[in-house]
Amino acid sequence: MNFPSVDYTWFGNGTVIALIAIIHVIISHGVAIGTSVLVVSTEYRAMKRKNEALDQVAKTMLKWVLIITTTMGAMTGVGIWFSTTVIQPDSISSLLRIFFWAWVVEWGAFISEVIILIVYYYTWDKWKEGERKRKHIMLGVALSIASWVTMVIITGVLAAKLTPGRWIDTFSFWNAFLNPTYFPSLGFRMFLAIMLAISLVSFFIRWRIKDKALRTEVFRVFAFWGAIALPLTFITGLWYLWAIPTEAYNMIVWSTGMSEVIFKSLNILGFSILLIFLVWLVKSPKNVPWMLSIAVMFSSIGFIGEFEVVRESVRKPYIIYNYMYANGMLAKDEEELKKEGYLANATWAKEKEVTDNNMVEAGRDVFVGQCITCHTIDGWRDTRALATRMKGWDKEAIMSFIPNMHYAQVAMPPFMGTEEEIEALATYIVTELENDKEVTQK
Amino acid sequence: MNHLVLALISSDNPLPIPAPIGLLEILIVLTFILHIIFVNFTISLTAGAVGLEITGMMKKNSLFDKMAQICSFHASIHKSIAVVLGVGPLLIVSVLYTQYFYSSTILIGKAWMSLLILLIAAFLLLYIYKFTWVKFQTKKLLHLSIGLLAMLILFFVPLIFIVNVTSMLYPDRWGEANGFFESLFYYPQIWQRYLHFMLASLATGGFYMFVYFAYLKRKQKKLEQHEQALKLFGAKVGFWITITQLVTGFLLLFSFNTNIRMLYLGEDLLLTSLLIISIVLTVILCMLLYAAGYKDSANSFLASILVFMFVIGIMGWMRHELREAYLSPYLDEHPRTEERLESTLE
Repeated sequence: MNFPSVDYTWFGNGTVIALIAIIHVIISHGVAIGTSVLVVSTEYRAMKRKNEALDQVAKTMLKWVLIITTTMGAMTGVGIWFSTTVIQPDSISSLLRIFFWAWVVEWGAFISEVIILIVYYYTWDKWKEGERKRKHIMLGVALSIASWVTMVIITGVLAAKLTPGRWIDTFSFWNAFLNPTYFPSLGFRMFLAIMLAISLVSFFIRWRIKDKALRTEVFRVFAFWGAIALPLTFITGLWYLWAIPTEAYNMIVWSTGMSEVIFKSLNILGFSILLIFLVWLVKSPKNVPWMLSIAVMFSSIGFIGEFEVVRESVRKPYIIYNYMYANGMLAKDEEELKKEGYLANATWAKEKEVTDNNMVEAGRDVFVGQCITCHTIDGWRDTRALATRMKGWDKEAIMSFIPNMHYAQVAMPPFMGTEEEIEALATYIVTELENDKEVTQK
Repeated sequence: MNHLVLALISSDNPLPIPAPIGLLEILIVLTFILHIIFVNFTISLTAGAVGLEITGMMKKNSLFDKMAQICSFHASIHKSIAVVLGVGPLLIVSVLYTQYFYSSTILIGKAWMSLLILLIAAFLLLYIYKFTWVKFQTKKLLHLSIGLLAMLILFFVPLIFIVNVTSMLYPDRWGEANGFFESLFYYPQIWQRYLHFMLASLATGGFYMFVYFAYLKRKQKKLEQHEQALKLFGAKVGFWITITQLVTGFLLLFSFNTNIRMLYLGEDLLLTSLLIISIVLTVILCMLLYAAGYKDSANSFLASILVFMFVIGIMGWMRHELREAYLSPYLDEHPRTEERLESTLE
């Protein structure tokens, strides 16, 4: 508790971060990066074929890129930062210090991206003919590159959280940035971005464009990119899986909350839908069924959501592997805090030591400091709610579980504190569970 | 210094600050100024669009409606730039003032998170407002309410930021702080800062319109009637509001702790000089804007841009020095992690 805390009691602190992050990934990958590539490719095709209607389709697509990325996209991007600041301050403040200059460069790329996007859109009808149109298309290429550069940089940060590699020993920026999963995850993300864009936009093309010939023209562009992106997403995905630590690999199915059979079936189904859709785009772009365009949209959103949840979860119990646990506690502090006590070292704890009279209050401070990042007492996500996980447990059971929980549950960080603090925490949890039971019974 | 002991400040993050402190201080001032100018544009051009649209509706004069439409167009562009430019100063303040900024943010955590919803809503409304301007000519009241709602949100949002950056200066008061709404009246300075900032925004937007059309005119173009009107209107808005800033600036100065205020009133040479220069420059700026708005003088164009940049620069600098003055006793007590860790790793 280096900082105060915020408690989204029912929704869950972790869920707040996850929700914002997933929306952001869908927009940043699917709209900002992927759709920009589709827009400029469509514009190029329209110029080559002198097809004014196709040109206008590209412009409309770009209008939505502009509206979505500069509202939801930009704000959820800042939002990941806002939410981690509020919920995981120790983790985000560490990442900012490790990757400060990467973020500065990323900021430059962001500014370029937004300015190019604005110029690209508002010059569309002004730079129409001949050499000016060529320049306009170059703006679109520049936009795609600037968007991609933001991914090139942020992937270094995200991959390092799972596999910081030699950084743990050297504390060197480049060891952290060019970490073992950097290249596979960058490749995977960039091809996934194009697949996601195709899946998201196709439905709207199918729905809004009545002219079959025009629709076919658009789908030919999508088919070209799909034929490149889908196999490469698959290959880089395998490379990525191969590169992550074995402990993390073993947690993938678990982290989705599904059984192995359901996990495999759903993923094979989703991939098959993508494959069938792509074959259809190539073979018969004129007659893409609208049901298929909806199915592929949901599959791709499902995939990206799954990817984010898995990526965030398999890192557990760490948030920066081998350095900082998911609850912001530093791995190196474990022994010291077991001796000195957690509360004595927690700036914002109201209770500085455990006494017979403050068991519940001190326990609450420990709970807020070490548990609340992931757990709720009785929130909507059963797997995170202690009311479900510890139903029927008494104080002694909880007390004997806490010191060993990180052996029993691979995703749990070790408890860092004294025996008295364990007792206080157990007392608090039991009291809350009792209260919860009474409320439910009433 | 008993209150320092009570302040809830933890040790700095053990990872070292990744750049020299002096460099980061220069960068935070520069990047913040860039960011805040575009925020000023966004707020004031939205307000300008709404105000002019209402005037047009009341006077049944399409001239005002055209002026309003231009404002809405520029507002929706500048809001995108404002957001993206905000990333830089947010990054630096997080790294440089970790022990203060994180706590002050989390203390109003839910209000801080509500910024996401508020700003997404305001920005989407700004797009609707702009893109439906022609289409909704017959549904003026509906169209106006879209802009008005966006404006109200944009008028509210600065309060969240102001509470955050003000409360960060008062660590010894954090223990008794209780959420965003109570903080509005709990910390000193909040409303004085809000007034000073909002008026600066409105003046900056007026100035922007003057500069934009004066530039177009110099470049080649003959301005249309509504463009010429907007140019003069902008200069006049800039003039009148900047004059009132001479008063609100002092209201803000007198909301500071006495020991800090005295730094600006003679005790510190740098701060006192900055304050005097800023007042002198503001008066000059007012004269230039008066000439531009009431005499349509073309000469004031470059001079006013130059003076404006100096005024904004000095304001940004003084704002930073204020934070340093408030935090210096705490920074002495709880030093930042500046040393690189390599030596300890060997």
